[in-house]
Amino acid sequence: MNLLQAFKMAFKSIACKKTRSFLTMLGIIIGVASVVIMVSVVQGQNKKSMEYFEKMGSNKISVDAYYYYSSDGSNTIFEDLYDYCLGMQDLVVGVTPNIQVYNNMTVKYKTKTASTQNWENWEDMLQVVLGSDQYGACNNYTLASGRELAYLDIQNANNVCVLGGRLKETLFDFVDPVGETITINGQPFLVVGWYERKDLENWPELDNIVLLPYTFNRSLNQNSPINSFVVKARSASATVKAMTKLDAFLGSMFPKNADGYSNVGDYYIRSDNSSAASIQEQSNMQAMVLGGIAGISLLVGGIGIMNIMLVTVTERTREIGIRKAIGAERRSIIAQFLIEAAVICGIGGLLGIGIGYVGTMVAGKFILQDSSLTPSIPMALLAFGFSVVLGVIFGLYPAVKASGLQPVEALRAE
Amino acid sequence: MLIDIKDLYKIYNEGRESEVRALDGVTLQIDRGEFVAIVGQSGSGKSTLMNVLGCLDIPTYGDYFLDGTDVTGLSDRQLARIRNREIGFIFQGYNLIQELDALENVILPLIYRGIPVWDREDMAMEALEKVGMADRAHHRPSEMSGGQQQRVAIARAIAAHPPIIMADEPTGALDSKTGKHVLEILRDLYREGNTILLITHDEGIAATAKRVVRLSDGKIISDAPQEVDWT
Repeated sequence: MNLLQAFKMAFKSIACKKTRSFLTMLGIIIGVASVVIMVSVVQGQNKKSMEYFEKMGSNKISVDAYYYYSSDGSNTIFEDLYDYCLGMQDLVVGVTPNIQVYNNMTVKYKTKTASTQNWENWEDMLQVVLGSDQYGACNNYTLASGRELAYLDIQNANNVCVLGGRLKETLFDFVDPVGETITINGQPFLVVGWYERKDLENWPELDNIVLLPYTFNRSLNQNSPINSFVVKARSASATVKAMTKLDAFLGSMFPKNADGYSNVGDYYIRSDNSSAASIQEQSNMQAMVLGGIAGISLLVGGIGIMNIMLVTVTERTREIGIRKAIGAERRSIIAQFLIEAAVICGIGGLLGIGIGYVGTMVAGKFILQDSSLTPSIPMALLAFGFSVVLGVIFGLYPAVKASGLQPVEALRAE
Repeated sequence: MLIDIKDLYKIYNEGRESEVRALDGVTLQIDRGEFVAIVGQSGSGKSTLMNVLGCLDIPTYGDYFLDGTDVTGLSDRQLARIRNREIGFIFQGYNLIQELDALENVILPLIYRGIPVWDREDMAMEALEKVGMADRAHHRPSEMSGGQQQRVAIARAIAAHPPIIMADEPTGALDSKTGKHVLEILRDLYREGNTILLITHDEGIAATAKRVVRLSDGKIISDAPQEVDWT
């Protein structure tokens, strides 16, 4: 008997035993589909949180440094930091204060306005940020047109600003704003450039910024202390080196006493790389937990397959006895049953992957509101492989067992 | 000599208290073209004898030469070949595969024999015609009466033209009229030159065979030819 014949017999057998074949498949379908959906959803969520770090750029070092007894913007931490970073340009792209003005502010261009207090449409809420000439580089903004703030703008506290992409659309529609003048709380500012939109679904405010020289801290931000900075490093390894250097530099600025504390102030350095890594880690853990649950359902499905296969051992043993009595060789019988089990599990697995795909899309669209959610292919393959192996083992079991019997013993099975 | 067995034993649970000697030193020769009835009460060992003769079971001791070949030393594969090419089985319980229709059941031994696809159906239909079941070729066993199923089983046994037909109580589950019909088919096969082995407990059926071998407690107690009137 050739292989083609074995295939034909296997398909015939599946077609004749529809209920049993379907029940066998069902376990696999559910198992594979649930693994695919769960893992894909977790990975999709993970991707979403990672998107923030991607858009904001990697190798970002956040620095907080403050004097205990300083309550205004008269400290020179930033200037010192700026000078220090100039000295390690091989590691660092730029440095900027990272200050958001929380006062009630309104920008206006002709009849169009945007406000920091726009709570009804929080996606359109204005964000006034104060930064250096390197703010755009540090925060991974790309200029759409015009220019960044210039060093002299900072030094001279020029009334200039750069707009986020969304704010630009709010105020100017499709007109190029460069060269136009807007007012912020009545004070005129010349628009020198605007950034392309980042379009981060969960962080729309990043596109609603109006960036001003940080020297406006005095007039627009009650001269609050400037304590928060961003240093952008050139690479992941440069991030680590720069952090070590910054630690040494800030450590000398806030020297520790014998107890290990500084008497003048404190500082804190962290990199988004490590935040990203920890979020990644967290979501991997989530994926493992949910994947584990899904794995259990796959296992339960596998046990279902096993049960159905074992229940039919008697029935099949008799059939094998008949086949042997009329001259089937052992290997023909094993080939037939092997193909039968593989085909059933293969079809079941493919259906499971299909349903998993659809389920992932549906879950993405209606639960996570994220239509870009895509199923995890390695997970699908893993679940598929697992169920096929399981099905083949238990489908083959009666065949291997019964085909080794004397025909008369197999025929005696009731 | 087609079938030649010497001192054949089939012993279950040997050496234990529950030891059963289903065959207890059987010696028997059957020539090509004979019509032999093996008769005995239930438990006399006649079915065991057929299973051993049909290579469905292996004897515990003894020699079995089938057409000159020592069968007891053959591999599983070689035995399968013998079952497929030399012997056609007819069982009391028909032993058809329920999921396959009549034609597919009859084709099965032809597939295992390696008959080319284009010849199989013709051979199977020929066999079905011989037993008068050609019009039921596409019925499943569950859609047929016992007599019809047994005729399909006979068709399966003869489809590959094996020289030996072994029938174990072929009429046991049938009423007397269909039983007669089945015996009629066996006689036709005998007339065509096949060797027929008929196992039965029914003296009436045994009376229709050319030779009767009587078995009791695993031993042959008589073996004699008889005159039969088949007209």
